[in-house]
Amino acid sequence: MQKNILVADDDMDVVTFVSTVLEKSGYKVIGAKDGEEALNKIRANRPDLIILDILMPKQSGIKLYRELKTDESLKDIPVVILSAISKRTFLRSQEALTEFGGEPVPEPEVYIEKPVEPDDLAKTVSEVLSRKGG
Amino acid sequence: MAKLLFIDDEESVRKVFSMSLRKEGYEVLTAENGEKGLEVFMRENPPIALVDIKMPGMDGIEVLKRIKEINSETEVIIITGHGDMDSAIKALKLDASDFLTKPVSDEALSVALKRAQKKIKLKQQLKEYTYDLENMVKAATEEIKRRYEFEKKLIHSSMDGIVATDEKGDIIIFNQGAERIFGYPRFEVVRNKNIVDVYPPWMAKEIIEGLSKGGKNFSWKETSILTKDGKEIPVRFSGAILYESGEIVGSVSFFHDLREIKKLEQELVNSERLAAIGQTVSSIAHYTKNILSGLKGGIYVADTALKEGNMARFKTGWEMIQRNVGRISNLVMDLLNYSKEREPQYQDCFPNDIAYEVCQLMEQKAKDNGIQIVKDFDPSIGKVALDPEGIHNVLLNLMSNAIDACIFDTDKRKKWWVKVGTALDGETIIFEVSDNGCGMDEEVKRKLFTSFFSTKGGKGTGLGLLVTQKIVKEHGGTIEVKSKQGEGSTFTVKIPKR
Repeated sequence: MQKNILVADDDMDVVTFVSTVLEKSGYKVIGAKDGEEALNKIRANRPDLIILDILMPKQSGIKLYRELKTDESLKDIPVVILSAISKRTFLRSQEALTEFGGEPVPEPEVYIEKPVEPDDLAKTVSEVLSRKGG
Repeated sequence: MAKLLFIDDEESVRKVFSMSLRKEGYEVLTAENGEKGLEVFMRENPPIALVDIKMPGMDGIEVLKRIKEINSETEVIIITGHGDMDSAIKALKLDASDFLTKPVSDEALSVALKRAQKKIKLKQQLKEYTYDLENMVKAATEEIKRRYEFEKKLIHSSMDGIVATDEKGDIIIFNQGAERIFGYPRFEVVRNKNIVDVYPPWMAKEIIEGLSKGGKNFSWKETSILTKDGKEIPVRFSGAILYESGEIVGSVSFFHDLREIKKLEQELVNSERLAAIGQTVSSIAHYTKNILSGLKGGIYVADTALKEGNMARFKTGWEMIQRNVGRISNLVMDLLNYSKEREPQYQDCFPNDIAYEVCQLMEQKAKDNGIQIVKDFDPSIGKVALDPEGIHNVLLNLMSNAIDACIFDTDKRKKWWVKVGTALDGETIIFEVSDNGCGMDEEVKRKLFTSFFSTKGGKGTGLGLLVTQKIVKEHGGTIEVKSKQGEGSTFTVKIPKR
């Protein structure tokens, strides 16, 4: 069965680019332009993988990631972060949130710093999906 | 037991008196003549001596003199012959404490001795009082001296300059701080100069007037003084007229050296600037990374489309490339505008026309997003000299910000508007751009002009308001912002007429 992948990024160029790469590899792609829209579409469509930007309006990837990983029904969906923000900064922000009384969340499956090469992206996505037994 | 020396040449008398005196509780020492009596006196130093006036060899008067020489505080009672008033008076003149006439009765002797003892006791008390008093005076003097020294040290070690004058304005205190600030050594001014010679004229005038008419305190103000060498020093100054029991006795002035503070302020500005540059570099890097992603993505999409011969996809890819080239050129233009040192190109123009033009440009975008543009132009402005291109950029930036603020607003029930106003207030031209969009919190407001900062995600360069502020400043004007989160913002630009 064709896998569903959700791509959340406020830069529509990124969504278009990632969609093209993934569609070429045979996946079905759902785009979202901010954190809020992404969460609604994740709940509605139950994608097999989520590709997430960090700096987005309305709800940032930092908060969205935390919500995904603490939601029983969503936490098993693998998340690939694709952002211009460095991995270190992202992890530090998650640590800070944990310290402020949140529960600890696992690191994302893969963290990619922008810009990303199309081949690398396709390879990463297929690896993460096969690891998850799909 | 009190000691008592009894000198008499008659042995029987010595015996009788000794017995009765011992009974009264005295320790009695006896001697049969003056010489021996003095020997005993010197050895035993009794407080009371009883001396017969008529004795062979040294007489009683002589013994009295000697005893008083040795210890003037000894109570000496003289025993005279009956009716010998001359000797008695002589003895009293020589400071004898009493005299008894022979034959001496026990009662008379007892009374004389009691009186003598009372005198001794009084003297003792007086001595103690005096001693205490002396100590107290000494302690008080030392305390005053200590306080005076302390206050002197306090005045002299103060980092601030302290200058005190008498009622004529002649300088009487000039501490180290004052030396440092004014550049005069203390000895040159103290009791040698009047404040008129040292202070700036207005300051001296205020104080001299205060001294003659009685005056107020001078509260802190920032000013400057001239040193001995004529160098200008920034200071904070305050002063007071001094009164004592309602009389004017002088003045005191305080000077706080502002050179160090000014230097620190400058350093702070510099370090903030450095921090801003660091932040700028990283935000430009971040922004460029995003554009680069877009460009690479566009190339990939176009490439893929070419291989497939898919024209629709090729168009998407090509548009991505165009859009990101556009973003990069915007960034570069903003950067150039910001870094460019340029004088405004003044020419006669109509501010209302510029504002109208900008409204026209924004009309379509506003309409697409359901935002109403309200124009409120003051027709009295007419023609003024401005840099039309600069002002155009300022208004364009403020208006597109206002429209974005409405687009970003999450309260979809609002009827959004952006208002552009012009006004003339005396010699000042006022442009005002306000909106009822999302507004800003304190954090955003604070960062607005200080660093490259954007709330618009991928869309903003974080440079727009900096460029705007720069143009306004080049015109000698000011820009102010009022904003409330969820209610909207108002930017007010004031530019002085030339």
